[in-house]
Amino acid sequence: MEKKKNNGINRRTFIKTTGVIGLGVATASFGVPKLLRAAPQTIKIGSVQPATGPLAVIGVGQRRGNQLAADYINSKGGIKSMGGAKLELLLGDSESKPEVGRSEADRLIKDGAVVMTGPFQSGVAMAISTLCEQRQVPFIMDVAALDKITGKGKKYTFRVFITVTGLLNGAVKYLKHVTRLKGVMPKRAVVTNTADPFGKGMSGGFIKFMEKSGLPIKIVERIQYPLGIQDLSAEVARIKAAKPDILFPVSRPGDSIILSRELYKQRVELMGIYGPGSPGYYEPGVIQDLGRLIDYIMVNVPWINPTSPVYQQANAAFRKAHDKYLDTNSAYAYTGVLVIADILERAASTDPDKIIAAARKTDFKDHPVVGGPVRFDEKGDNTGALTALIQVQPDQDLFKRVKVVAPKEFAESGQIVFPWPQLWER
Amino acid sequence: MIAMGLSLIFGVMGIINFAHGQMMVMAMYVSYWIFVLLGIDPYLSLVIVAAVIFVLGYLIQSTVVNRILDYPEAMQVLPLVSMGLILENLALLLWGPDHRSPQTALSLAALWIGPVMIDVSRLIAFVLAICITALIFVFLKKTDIGKCIRAASDNRTGAILVGINVNRIYNVSFAIGAATTAAAGVLLLPIMPISPYMGHDFTLIAFIVVILGGMGNLLGALVGGVILGVAESASTLFLPATLKHVVSFSILIIIMLFRPQGIFGGKS
Repeated sequence: MEKKKNNGINRRTFIKTTGVIGLGVATASFGVPKLLRAAPQTIKIGSVQPATGPLAVIGVGQRRGNQLAADYINSKGGIKSMGGAKLELLLGDSESKPEVGRSEADRLIKDGAVVMTGPFQSGVAMAISTLCEQRQVPFIMDVAALDKITGKGKKYTFRVFITVTGLLNGAVKYLKHVTRLKGVMPKRAVVTNTADPFGKGMSGGFIKFMEKSGLPIKIVERIQYPLGIQDLSAEVARIKAAKPDILFPVSRPGDSIILSRELYKQRVELMGIYGPGSPGYYEPGVIQDLGRLIDYIMVNVPWINPTSPVYQQANAAFRKAHDKYLDTNSAYAYTGVLVIADILERAASTDPDKIIAAARKTDFKDHPVVGGPVRFDEKGDNTGALTALIQVQPDQDLFKRVKVVAPKEFAESGQIVFPWPQLWER
Repeated sequence: MIAMGLSLIFGVMGIINFAHGQMMVMAMYVSYWIFVLLGIDPYLSLVIVAAVIFVLGYLIQSTVVNRILDYPEAMQVLPLVSMGLILENLALLLWGPDHRSPQTALSLAALWIGPVMIDVSRLIAFVLAICITALIFVFLKKTDIGKCIRAASDNRTGAILVGINVNRIYNVSFAIGAATTAAAGVLLLPIMPISPYMGHDFTLIAFIVVILGGMGNLLGALVGGVILGVAESASTLFLPATLKHVVSFSILIIIMLFRPQGIFGGKS
């Protein structure tokens, strides 16, 4: 039998060729960002954030904060000392994993990033910081709290955010402030936390700080549960059995919702909830979903400065673009890029040594967060970083429900409600 | 119920649906949408959502799964895992990464019997789950399609010989499996916040339940689910909650060692 000849296009070759062409076109359009092709002179900033994975909510907000600040600087004429050079953000996604964060940072540096920022998680920050020291690329972290990331002879690593020690000092300071102001003292307390490195470290540190604080509050139980838990009924039953006056949760958005609802259902009597410093109670989505159950929860947290014009401008732009307000993380991401722009302006060069020399002399006041001017100490930490005490209060406008109640110079609302009306009496 | 859907699909086709949890998440989001946009309570939208996911399941089966039925297991896994990834990222694209947990009419309701608290939404979920299970049983035992499904599951060649359109039966059973999962998702909506990434965990848990109850056995899936749920909750009373999964996987290992066919599994 004669072998079948096929000179024309059959179905398989057609599918193969079109497939390859399609794939090629798709990768080409993904691989080369639009800006890269168009802009005349740009300075590339690498931003690695956890844009997918369990921390995607935060990571995406961070990325948007970075981008908004870069757009703002560009709209004001870019970096003037370098002939109006525009900032270009190169995006990396850590997927919430240190090893991925490191390889993404490596990729961005190869793509020409002269300064790195990010990465929200301390574990990722450690990995990127080591890489940046090797490659001599300045790493100006917007958010990452673990103390040991900076210091130890690191030359290129700086942090705009507060350290864990700073955060815990704030937690104890404001707790003392509230109890003194209101003249009530809780006696028994329960600490809950998510069992990831941040949750464990934060709550463990808080328990130690409380012991040293001299406050007569006894921590009678510590309950840990995995990140991303779907059911807290058994845990809340344990909380109820411990009969606490106050709850100190180190939580995240998902479990905060379940925790509050479960406290309501099981009728756990408390004087209030005081978060030593964790996300979960100030995200617009959480506030919307919890409604009145979230009122009067207090959280010690690095926060936006509502009185700052920089904040008001940035927040309006952010709200317009994404229908969310700038929260701690996105505001710090915004601040991070502003600080980088300020440093680049003074360095007038993309040479790493000139950048870090300029970074050491930073004195940056026009930022949108609670705290003094950004100045870096010899370890690279921001000496101006401060926490605020925020309380969720009833307000018609969802975007105005989170109020700064301390420190005084930043406060919008002098009223602190403590003890709170019980959840089911509202 | 999630496990039951998985078990049904496995029992009929011998395919493990790795996109199962993600299909449930899809259902939860659809129900969430209906609640937010139209104000219809999840319990009422259950039927609509189940229908939507039924169609989705039917399409997945007819376009993807039917083509891979005769492939080795390792190759069957990949298309379904990728289907899961597609659904997960679709949810991320459509609804964003936030945790959503709308406050429905009953999400805060609780009944008090003396000092004992009963969560109303959980109670409803439990009762409806049993009803739906019963419905599926009746469907499989009494209706023609149900009989065809059982025939195709017992002996594929035999079913083809007596003139059953096996591919269509497979489509329907995959769709029913998907719809069952969808119903489960809707029942969970008032209880837990949704996020695009929660699918994996549910696939895994459903998998344990299915193995526990016996692969492909529907009653086993129900009993296995209850056992696992009770074991996990009870364990938090004397073990840290972080060890919850250790308990479930320990049960899994014990079952695998001593009764590899599962509690209700017949001849393997």
